[in-house]
Amino acid sequence: MTVRLTRKYGFAASHRLHSRALSDEENRRTYGKCNNPHGHGHNYEVEITVRGQVDRVTGRAIDLGRLDRIAEEQILKPLRYRNLNEEVPVFHEVVPTTENLAAELDRRLRSAWPEVFPDGGPVLEKLRIWETERNICEIDHA
Amino acid sequence: MVISKKVEFSASHICRSPRLSDAENERTFGAAANPLGHGHNYVVEVAIEGEPDPVTGMILDLKRLKNILEEKVLSVYDHRLLNREVEPFDRVVPTVENIAIDIWRRIDPHIQGRAKLYSVRVHETVELSVEYRGGK
Repeated sequence: MTVRLTRKYGFAASHRLHSRALSDEENRRTYGKCNNPHGHGHNYEVEITVRGQVDRVTGRAIDLGRLDRIAEEQILKPLRYRNLNEEVPVFHEVVPTTENLAAELDRRLRSAWPEVFPDGGPVLEKLRIWETERNICEIDHA
Repeated sequence: MVISKKVEFSASHICRSPRLSDAENERTFGAAANPLGHGHNYVVEVAIEGEPDPVTGMILDLKRLKNILEEKVLSVYDHRLLNREVEPFDRVVPTVENIAIDIWRRIDPHIQGRAKLYSVRVHETVELSVEYRGGK
């Protein structure tokens, strides 16, 4: 039986939305208060959805310990209580919007996935990130 | 079009398989392997797919869906120890994956007409949920 299992994690971080390709005025117009030079923070929430077969013996579609480990190593540990612009190299160049953050987290999980889940284990199907209750971005590979 | 309904039940379970050793059970299920059991407030979201009836504007009479869920799921699951009191969990580990599959099996035969069962999603905690869309 194929099921989709979703697990939710959280981390707090700060960022500033500012593009070097735009003037100060354009940055203010594009990002509004998120352009504040001092930055600001969010309690981010991340949902990871995997698709897998339920094992007949364990009744589990995924080893949750391994999922927690990949989330901790690839997402939570490197980003928790960080200034994303200053401390996460990809965001030296790329603006840490929710969209770009979702793409970066997806890329991190995907690159570490085969090592943590070898031999065709569960498939990473969807990643969803909440910046606030109202700003949610989703990458769906289904 | 998909419409979904949410219901809740509370139950206890023990995540251990008799086919695994004690050490394997501890490793696989962690704290959930506690032989004395533990419980959750489960939230079940049932999604129904279909086109609205031209006369009533409804895909399915939601009162009927509520009755099916009460009779086939809640009256069976609510305030029970799943391993001892709910089939098939005397033989199958009551993980949230298997609970979603079992709820599908219990309600699918009763959803008829223009509506068809699309998915059963079971939230075990706010951090963990499983969705089953039928089939293999």
